[in-house]
Amino acid sequence: MVNLILNGLANGILYGGGLALLAVGMNLIFGVLNVIHLAYGQCVMVALYAVYVFAVLLHIPIFISCLLAVAVSALLALLIHVSVVKPLLKAPLINQLLALAGVIIVLENLILATFGSDYVGLQISFPVFSIADIFVKVSSLIPFFVGIITLILIWMFLTRTYTGLAIKAVVQDREMADLVGVKTDRIYLLTFVIGGVLAGIVAACFAPIYTVHPHFGAGFTLTAFVIVVLGGLGNLVGGSVAAFLIGIVSQVAGVIFSSEIGEILVYTIFILFILFRPQGLLGVKVRT
Amino acid sequence: MKRLNRIALPATLGSLFLFLMVAPFFLPLYWIHIFILIFIWASIATAWSYMARFGVISLGHGAILGIGTYVTALLFNFFGISPLLGMIIGGVIAVVFFAGIGYFCFRFGVIGHYFAVTTLVQAMIVYLLIMYFRDFTGGSLGLTLNPRGTNPLFFQFEDKIYFYFISIVFLGLTFYVWKRIQKSKIQRAMAAIENDEAAAESIGIPIVKYKTIVTAISSFFTAIGGVIYAQYMMTLNPDVLSSVGASLDIAFKAILGGMYTLWGPFIGTTLIIGLEEYFRVVHGATLIGWSVAAYGVVIIVLVIFFPQGLHGTIKSVFGKRVQRTIK
Amino acid sequence: MLQVEGVSAGYGKFNILNNISIKVESGTTVIMVGSNGAGKSTLLKTIAGVVKPAGGEIYFEGARIDGKAPHQIVELGIAFVPEGGRIFPDLSVYENLKMGSYTSRARREFQTTLQEVFELFPLLEKRKKQVSGSLSGGERQMLSIARALMSKPKLIMLDEPSSGLAPKIVTHVFEFIETIKAQGYSILMVEQNVLKAVDLADYAYLLSTGNLVYQGKKEEFLQNPEIKVSYLGI
Repeated sequence: MVNLILNGLANGILYGGGLALLAVGMNLIFGVLNVIHLAYGQCVMVALYAVYVFAVLLHIPIFISCLLAVAVSALLALLIHVSVVKPLLKAPLINQLLALAGVIIVLENLILATFGSDYVGLQISFPVFSIADIFVKVSSLIPFFVGIITLILIWMFLTRTYTGLAIKAVVQDREMADLVGVKTDRIYLLTFVIGGVLAGIVAACFAPIYTVHPHFGAGFTLTAFVIVVLGGLGNLVGGSVAAFLIGIVSQVAGVIFSSEIGEILVYTIFILFILFRPQGLLGVKVRT
Repeated sequence: MKRLNRIALPATLGSLFLFLMVAPFFLPLYWIHIFILIFIWASIATAWSYMARFGVISLGHGAILGIGTYVTALLFNFFGISPLLGMIIGGVIAVVFFAGIGYFCFRFGVIGHYFAVTTLVQAMIVYLLIMYFRDFTGGSLGLTLNPRGTNPLFFQFEDKIYFYFISIVFLGLTFYVWKRIQKSKIQRAMAAIENDEAAAESIGIPIVKYKTIVTAISSFFTAIGGVIYAQYMMTLNPDVLSSVGASLDIAFKAILGGMYTLWGPFIGTTLIIGLEEYFRVVHGATLIGWSVAAYGVVIIVLVIFFPQGLHGTIKSVFGKRVQRTIK
Repeated sequence: MLQVEGVSAGYGKFNILNNISIKVESGTTVIMVGSNGAGKSTLLKTIAGVVKPAGGEIYFEGARIDGKAPHQIVELGIAFVPEGGRIFPDLSVYENLKMGSYTSRARREFQTTLQEVFELFPLLEKRKKQVSGSLSGGERQMLSIARALMSKPKLIMLDEPSSGLAPKIVTHVFEFIETIKAQGYSILMVEQNVLKAVDLADYAYLLSTGNLVYQGKKEEFLQNPEIKVSYLGI
């Protein structure tokens, strides 16, 4: 039993790495554009299919396939931003959510029409090794390390560059950012595309682990938003910590009870936090 | 124009009403089936709009449907309790769950995006519970009701025509409730809140209480509507009733028609179900995926270009016309 | 330098400003006074590009600027300090100032400008790593004005710089503004605290419910009996 839990713990930490990237993307998009990207999970799904197309169908080396998939994901984000998000930036919340729900339908069904509903996978096997009695899959190590590196790069971007600073400023006070000369339209576009890039990186990390199908990814979106709230909106460090905690809780609970209980536990924690501690673990007050 | 309205509007409504009363006796079964679906989902969409027109957007009505229908169905299948009683019990439990959490949200200022996501999470929780208890609920395979033939006491009818009239009466009931809320002090209070929530609170309007009441009413009627659907279909499917997709679907129907008007949700439901059937019947067999993707594109386009929904847009267009003639 | 001609503006269907014309000459300090709701803030916001004018024209150094986006207005050399200062609360003092120099024109000279600003406001240099949300009201106002200077403006617009501050702090704030005036900046300021503001001004306008009611040089302003009674409480 203890072994099972330790395994769950190990896998949870590794899974948390991937989740952290998604949460960062969701955090930035919600903070800057004030839009919940309901179709985010589906963007990851499309990027996963892209990896499959490049690596398996076109026999392009896996690493380059992943890079290409990131590019595809960025392009998809650009397309979604220009055609759906931008026209609705000033629209009521529910219209934004509905339009993005429409995007979910479009993406899922285009993939369904093109590839059918069968599961599709990378068909690459990675070695498994063990430390003491814990089995660690190399394929789980990848998301963890890529996740950490990407997080560090994002952090450096946000704190060291002018554009990164502008993004933080827009999150805190949109109108004032306008007034110091920030071209907020460009920042919106850039942020959304960064979200797309992150989705692509997540897909590249998950490609060796998951087999993908058109309905894959729906769970990620909600989990990502849960992490954003738990970590505190605008707080990327908090979000990363929350991602690992969520990863661990859901994997360990999933191992002890069942995967459904794991998810229910995460969602219940979310509701408790949003009612009693909306600023999350470390974040700033989010009440409107 | 106004004189035309005095005659034309009631005349159209009257003949429509007459048609609907007589239709099921000569229309083919398929059409009766479509009408029943429209009436049931339009009632649920209207009930959804009780909350939405006051700015309380729920993306989790699937949770209400799930609780209402599964409690009723399980009480019937395992304990033989009539759904007529079961739906009250199921409805109450759904109200306690949904409006209960809603109450705490309103009390602690969880609104807008955050409230919407909270309701989404509630829908997920109910869905997961249905999956977890699959030994009782059948999980994703669904749950079939024990057939009893035509038995009004157990809310089962073999003839569609009964459900036709039940659902149309229920739709009328939801309209009646809409009108009652419209005329009540809650309506005026909510208008004040929309204007300036802090000011409204300072003159003593019990915002939390009113929001909770509206949520409870919405939940109850949604649950009943769900049970009518379950009794009609004789099976329960969690993806149709209790999923995130179902919750979003209800919101679509209300908004595309116009969530602030009485007829909006009905118009939206007719449109959506019409579109769904069109794409499914005409194109579905040959173009799996493409047809639904096209449906998604239509949704996006409608949301961008008709932000007030179809009925809402029509109303504002006519509103402008009236103004011009007055000048 | 700045010329507003016949501008009407508002939010939605109702106009708050009706046909306002004002002028700011280069190197001068102009104030606008008037009771609440008179439209003073709206005028500044219209010049800054946040509000689109419903009618009229705005010229800056001869070129038309009405209808331009806020970031274009900043590039042209008009800095706006909105009411309450509105510093970026989670950024440090240094980062706020850095954001002040966001425009390409100002970015090139960021370091030199920073040194100049630190010389004017040594307190900010001391606190440069502090998260600006934790500054006091007066310090925030100081930071806000300093941030405006970082954009190398030709004209600085201030919206009620004394609002919400204790009297002693208000005196400090007006001392900062004096310092800036002495540096040669053109200033357009909106204030409710008429007595202190008029002291700094070269020219003054009085707005009442969206209309320009009176204008004149400082001395004339102070002599006008109506103003003395209604606004100066003399």
